Amino acid sequence: MPAVVELDRISKSYEKKVAVRELSLRIEAGTMFGLLGPNGSGKTSSIRMMVGITMPDSGSVSLLGKPFARETLKQVGYLPEERGLYKKMKVLDQLIFMGELRGLDKGTAGRRAHNWCERLQILEAVDKKTEELSKGMQQKIQFISTLMHDPELIIMDEPFSGLDPVNAVLLQDTLIDLKNAGKAILFSTHRMDQVEKLCDAICLINAGQAVLSGGMREVKSRYERDRVVLQFEGDNSFLQHPAIAEYKDYSGHVEIKLHPHADAQSLLREAVEKAKIYKFELVEPSLEEIFIQTVGEKVDA
Amino acid sequence: MRDIWLIAKREYLEQIRGKAFKVTTILIPVVFVSIFSISFFASKNSGSGKHITIAANDPALAARVRDQLLTDKDARMIVDVIAPAADSVRQQLLTEVDEKQLDGFLWLTTESDGSKASATYAAHASGDFATTARLSDAVDHAVVQQRLTAHGIAASDVEALTSDVKIHTEQVKNGKEVSSSAFGTFWAAYIMAFLLSFTVVMYGMNVGRSVIQEKTSRIFEVMLATVKPGDMLAGKLIGIGAVGLSQLAIWAIAAAIFSGSALAASLMSGGLKIQVSGVEIALFAIYFLLGYALYSALFAGLAATCDTEQELQQYAPLAAVPIWLSFGMITFIVSNPNSALSVAISMFPPCAPITMFLRIASQFPPLWQIALSLAIMAVSVYIVVWLSSRIYRVGILMYGKRATIPEMLRWLRYS
Repeated sequence: MPAVVELDRISKSYEKKVAVRELSLRIEAGTMFGLLGPNGSGKTSSIRMMVGITMPDSGSVSLLGKPFARETLKQVGYLPEERGLYKKMKVLDQLIFMGELRGLDKGTAGRRAHNWCERLQILEAVDKKTEELSKGMQQKIQFISTLMHDPELIIMDEPFSGLDPVNAVLLQDTLIDLKNAGKAILFSTHRMDQVEKLCDAICLINAGQAVLSGGMREVKSRYERDRVVLQFEGDNSFLQHPAIAEYKDYSGHVEIKLHPHADAQSLLREAVEKAKIYKFELVEPSLEEIFIQTVGEKVDA
Repeated sequence: MRDIWLIAKREYLEQIRGKAFKVTTILIPVVFVSIFSISFFASKNSGSGKHITIAANDPALAARVRDQLLTDKDARMIVDVIAPAADSVRQQLLTEVDEKQLDGFLWLTTESDGSKASATYAAHASGDFATTARLSDAVDHAVVQQRLTAHGIAASDVEALTSDVKIHTEQVKNGKEVSSSAFGTFWAAYIMAFLLSFTVVMYGMNVGRSVIQEKTSRIFEVMLATVKPGDMLAGKLIGIGAVGLSQLAIWAIAAAIFSGSALAASLMSGGLKIQVSGVEIALFAIYFLLGYALYSALFAGLAATCDTEQELQQYAPLAAVPIWLSFGMITFIVSNPNSALSVAISMFPPCAPITMFLRIASQFPPLWQIALSLAIMAVSVYIVVWLSSRIYRVGILMYGKRATIPEMLRWLRYS
């Protein structure tokens, strides 16, 4: 099965600045893909090339297994980072207009708009003008307008920013449903905890270049589990174990960093002998740590 | 095509339903009618209701001048006569004018044999051309009558000999004389040219503003992910142009209904006949569309390079200067519609809609000239749309400072 998105060494420069350099990535159907990177690293520039707003200077973009063509964009839903809706338009008219532009007929667009508003609990807003709605509601409407035409590829730039936790979960669940229905979803964010929870694959870019990419598990497995979080009561002499590089003891709650390739299991055995252990967790590095570590290394280099 | 149609429809419906459309549809004719009625009635009634004194050494001449002045009903003058007047009277009259008991006085002296007459009008206000013209006319008349009487011609003959001839104007169309009121033609031309320049620029700026709003609300980023920038621009131009045509149509229909009403008949009986033919209406629409396309495409391109409406305002002179130029030439064109300069300026695209219309209304120019001016406009619209759409495509994705001219030129080379 061909990838939904395939970027092959695309590059883009503006005036004197290189925005994206030789970026390649693949997004498969039925996956949630996280595009990460610090501000100004080239995320939005890359997305704009995927949806044909700008053309790459070199390299190629393929969507749904075919070389880029504008016709394919009818099967792509794009939520830009900067939200934009026609302020004076009524919500329903706006959704129908967006649906029609993506090739739906008026009746279908109206029905789908209604169903989506019901699903996202904003049915009472359909007759209001956009400018009368709260930020969060506007965001939900924009979210719906992205999905109206049942796209195979969904691209969302910072989809959860500015939403309260209840609505953020509502949209998250919606995206997971769509993923399970076989859609490919790409989203970019700064929120590492969301990526960690939702994404199957990631690509981390910095200064326009991919510095880390692959499946979430595979990426994480490249980084050693070298941290231990431990809760105990009693003798703390096991903290002198040779595997430990450094530790912080917050009276019973200890955060430990191990030496590279150290044996965590022997540490656990010694701890059990000496103290009463409530919790012993060998923590995998968080995406945030990987992010900082990777980007930091590159910045230092 | 479907995208252009959808965008045009959206733009049209939003503007037609908007408050601004309703307000301008009502307010602009009201303001227009007020301005034109005020200037029309002001010109007709200027110098009326004046209180003047005629001081003369010849009582008979003074009486004749007074009679002449009083025959002009529009002037509604109050005329006192002091005759024969001694030099001491002059000082007293000066005081009265100074104290504003009088608007002015006419000092008339004639030689005893009636061969030479001199007149001086002294008034509080200088530059009252209407009153000066009336006085000069009355004195001329009176002196001629006086001299004819002195040569022994009967009073009734004098009246007949000196009666005025009113010039009846006719326009020659297709080798036939058509009775027309020169005045009405001028006003029709003036109103249509004014309306044209006004709507062309208003709707041109409207497109610019709408582009800026889409840029600030970032809506285009969603749009550009499905629609080509050229289609977006085309849809916008068509939609807003249709709004302009709708507004003009509403005004035309309202004007037609109004002119058929009794109120209009009573107002127009004052000699102001405004004549507009079907061909003129059709050409008006064509010149509106081409002029609108020219200015709106220009402003759409420029707006894409700006971030705020204030920045766009800096480009407003690009529209204002051609219009000032056209209006500065209005009297020249109306009185010399076929001079080389009039022909040249009616070919110059930014001025053509207004100046050609002034020529059409005053004297129908040769068809080839109209065709040529429309062709030149169409070509320049094509060029401006082409340039603007390229600038638009790049500019709309740029934020930050307003683009400089060299930057815009560089954008033209982007594919």
